[in-house]
Amino acid sequence: MGDSMKKNSVDVLLLISVLAISIFGIIMIYSASYVWAEYKFNDPFKFVKNQGIFFVIGVIFMIIISKLNYHKYYDRANTLLIGCLVLLVLVLIPGIGTVRNGSRSWFGIGSFGIQPSEFTKLALIIFTSKYLVNNEKLVGNFKKGVLPILAILFLVFGLIMLQPDFGTGMIIIMSIMGLLFVGGVNFKFFLKLGIVGVLGIVGLIVVAPYRLKRILSFLNPWSDPLGSGFQIIQSLYAIGPGGLFGYGFLNSRQKHFYLPEPQTDFIFSIISEEFGVMGIFIVSLLFITIIYTGFKIAKRSNDLFGKYLAFGITFQIAFQAILNLMVVVGLIPVTGVTLPFLSYGGSSLLITLCSIGILLNISRYEK
Amino acid sequence: MLVIVFLFLLIIGKVFYIQVIQYKKLNNYATGLWSRNLPIEANRGIIYDINGTILADNITTTSLVLIPNQIKDKENTATLLAQILGVSKEDMMEHVTKIASIERVHPEGRRLSYDIADKINELKLPGVYLIKESKRYYPYDTFLSHTIGFVGIDNQGLAGLELIYDEYLTGSYGAIKYFSDAKGNRLELSEVYEQPQDGINMTLTINYDIQASVERELDNVMSKYSPEQAWGIAMDPNSGEILAIASRPAFSPSNYSDYTVEEINRNLPIWMTYEPGSTFKIVTLAASVNEKIVDLNNDYFYDGGAVTVEGATLHCWKHGGHGQQTYLQVVENSCNPGFVNLGLKLGKEKLFDYIRNFGFGSKTGIDLNGESSGIIFNLDKVGPVELATTAFGQGVSVTPIQQITAVSAAINGGILYKPYIVKSLNEPETNSVIKENKPTVVRQVITKEASDIVKYALESVVQNGTGRNAFIDGYRVGGKTGTAQKVQDGHYMVGNYITSFMGFLPADDPQIVVYIAVDNAKGVSQYGGTVAAPIVRNILVDAIEALDISKRDGAGEKNYNVGEKHYKVVSNVIGMSVNDAKKALGDFTLEFSGSGSIVSFQSPTANEKILEGDVVRLYLSE
Repeated sequence: MGDSMKKNSVDVLLLISVLAISIFGIIMIYSASYVWAEYKFNDPFKFVKNQGIFFVIGVIFMIIISKLNYHKYYDRANTLLIGCLVLLVLVLIPGIGTVRNGSRSWFGIGSFGIQPSEFTKLALIIFTSKYLVNNEKLVGNFKKGVLPILAILFLVFGLIMLQPDFGTGMIIIMSIMGLLFVGGVNFKFFLKLGIVGVLGIVGLIVVAPYRLKRILSFLNPWSDPLGSGFQIIQSLYAIGPGGLFGYGFLNSRQKHFYLPEPQTDFIFSIISEEFGVMGIFIVSLLFITIIYTGFKIAKRSNDLFGKYLAFGITFQIAFQAILNLMVVVGLIPVTGVTLPFLSYGGSSLLITLCSIGILLNISRYEK
Repeated sequence: MLVIVFLFLLIIGKVFYIQVIQYKKLNNYATGLWSRNLPIEANRGIIYDINGTILADNITTTSLVLIPNQIKDKENTATLLAQILGVSKEDMMEHVTKIASIERVHPEGRRLSYDIADKINELKLPGVYLIKESKRYYPYDTFLSHTIGFVGIDNQGLAGLELIYDEYLTGSYGAIKYFSDAKGNRLELSEVYEQPQDGINMTLTINYDIQASVERELDNVMSKYSPEQAWGIAMDPNSGEILAIASRPAFSPSNYSDYTVEEINRNLPIWMTYEPGSTFKIVTLAASVNEKIVDLNNDYFYDGGAVTVEGATLHCWKHGGHGQQTYLQVVENSCNPGFVNLGLKLGKEKLFDYIRNFGFGSKTGIDLNGESSGIIFNLDKVGPVELATTAFGQGVSVTPIQQITAVSAAINGGILYKPYIVKSLNEPETNSVIKENKPTVVRQVITKEASDIVKYALESVVQNGTGRNAFIDGYRVGGKTGTAQKVQDGHYMVGNYITSFMGFLPADDPQIVVYIAVDNAKGVSQYGGTVAAPIVRNILVDAIEALDISKRDGAGEKNYNVGEKHYKVVSNVIGMSVNDAKKALGDFTLEFSGSGSIVSFQSPTANEKILEGDVVRLYLSE
């Protein structure tokens, strides 16, 4: 299939947006992290150097992948997923996987860390896209069409929750759900699933009522300023006092040990603190451009696998970005999700850039 | 896609909301989180006398404060500081490494001398600060101590005016505010200096010179007669302003913990209640004159030494009585049966009305803590005997401040003022008045005419009667003695009196009233005229200078008792030879200074009147 199709050049707008937001991310990681880096490693450039290396590798990968025909993944989908599942099991074994921030999610190589769950995100999207293409007729049938893919999804989710890494697990669930929805799975299914989900949450709250308090603490973080409200308060202290114009580049105050690890989940609050509402606008605009082009590529792709793949990749980035931003500004409870392109994290950036490489490749086969 | 754009708009909207609507709240909270304060102590308000003499001051010192988190090189810092302060390095190491946001080096680092502070300052060590500390200082120690009170270790008012006006006198802390990171390290952001706000200054109605005179005289009487207690007040009768107020035993406000609670809290002139004795006769006199039931010069009274009221015999203090007298002489002699007669003539309703109107039985409302109200008979329980004894000052219980306030009313034209001691509160920078006390008229008690007669009668007490020891030549002094037997467990104590004198000057236009009482003076006949009157005289002499009171015309001559020293005029001896001068000043004791044979200077100068035997100093030259 596909090899005979006409090749266009890659989508330039997507490429530029991705490069711009990644470079901005690296700059902001420097600004957000140098205080911590100096304190922990005696090297203010520690984090930015790591991220820079991954950025360079990521960009090279992105360029290579953008030249690789995406249909190859259709053929290798099973192998990729099985490889990721093996890694997910391996990472749980003490001595092979290392614990960081309470989760056994990493393969440590020196000071670098590789997170297999990041690779799994992409592998599962590829697999699901292939599955939807192969079972086009069966998706209306719950038992034969939906249940097998759900079983695989929950296997992956289960392995990730053993680390545990709730944020990544949730992103995987949601992006696959999105993909199934687009793939034509009956709407009633989502309704039922939603009801089960709500009942499950209610059940958890009935069993342990403190959970409700936890969940609702984002509404008034000051009810538990040193516990569940701590991160969001520190985030608000960055966003609020920075004001509409911000304190200016490098002038964040909250990064001085007030906001823990400001280069990771809460980098957006440092961006807001230093650049004010302008920084927020630019970041939002870049994300909207990336997401919009991603969807456009999905729409224009002339085969089903390309459509699903492009949609899955874009939807995952969109969902993760929005989830992170809503946490940072206090619209939803803290979930522990990083911001694509901007948060510090080598594997995350590498995989995101690889995904963009796939997107760029799909864009070459547009109608 | 629309949903996604909407969610981004929602996020931007929320950021906008946080940055605009919640900005103020978050900024306040966050500034509180980021900023650290180095407190700077404010000066307490200074307390002045009426002429600007400082009665309570502050000493400023410098103290060493460390912020251990900011000290990078702890070893070096500890070594250097230990060297300068002369303490062991181990001790200093403890301070330097202490887990505290701010560490005061106590006591080695407090109240540093200028040299040492300067040496520390020159090192410019990070995390090492010198801050200002202020400590209360009472330059005259025991002076006015009961009234001023004192402060505790944190400069907080604990007693007296220091306590009552604490919220004014206490300033507010200033601070050096700097921004720090969550670990307490100083950030290179701007530093804010908030100046401490010094406390409000306070000016009293007290006149330093008169107060000093009262303090000195009370000290003298304490060492001379060893009484249990002594106290005195001086008041401006035309306003109710307290010019001086003191108690013995006194205490040192800087060492207040060495004294008993009673010694500290009992401001005797307002706290003590006792039978006033004869000074109270001024009230009976004023009531009688105001009611016009007596003509002092033309009505007569025969004192046979005792008077019988309803079967009770009330004796005059003079054995055998004073015989036939005008009522003026009754006053001069302080004759008890004469006053009993005046009391009976007034009747209980009228006399007790006057007593209450003069302010007895209730607090005067002076702006000090610990005032008593005293006790006067309930009118229902007043029979003729009670009426009779009350008329000469027995069976009532009053405070010194009530007496001096009442007497001020009796001699100032009849107006009862509310006494006060705080003249004004002033803002320390601009000196603008924050609060000012003005004379408060309570009521008109007697007419001006009646008041004039009272003054006349009391002047004649000093000229001719029991108050002659208070006479000052050339100045018209009025006054009244008092000798009250103390009561213990419902019985009069034997040989134990509170002897007092109430004196004022000039008698025609009083500027100052002085009341002195001595509790159980020993080694002297316990009469107000003997013990208290000379003290009041000495204070009045000082007050003449302090208030710049001029000599009066129409000053009467003193009538002398047998053997009493007379006032004699000093003649002019300047230019005379030593021998001629000795002859001319034969009535006096002469002291010479200088060398030569001719008098070139004399003190007192010519035409002064002094007591015979007093010293005249002559300066001799060639």
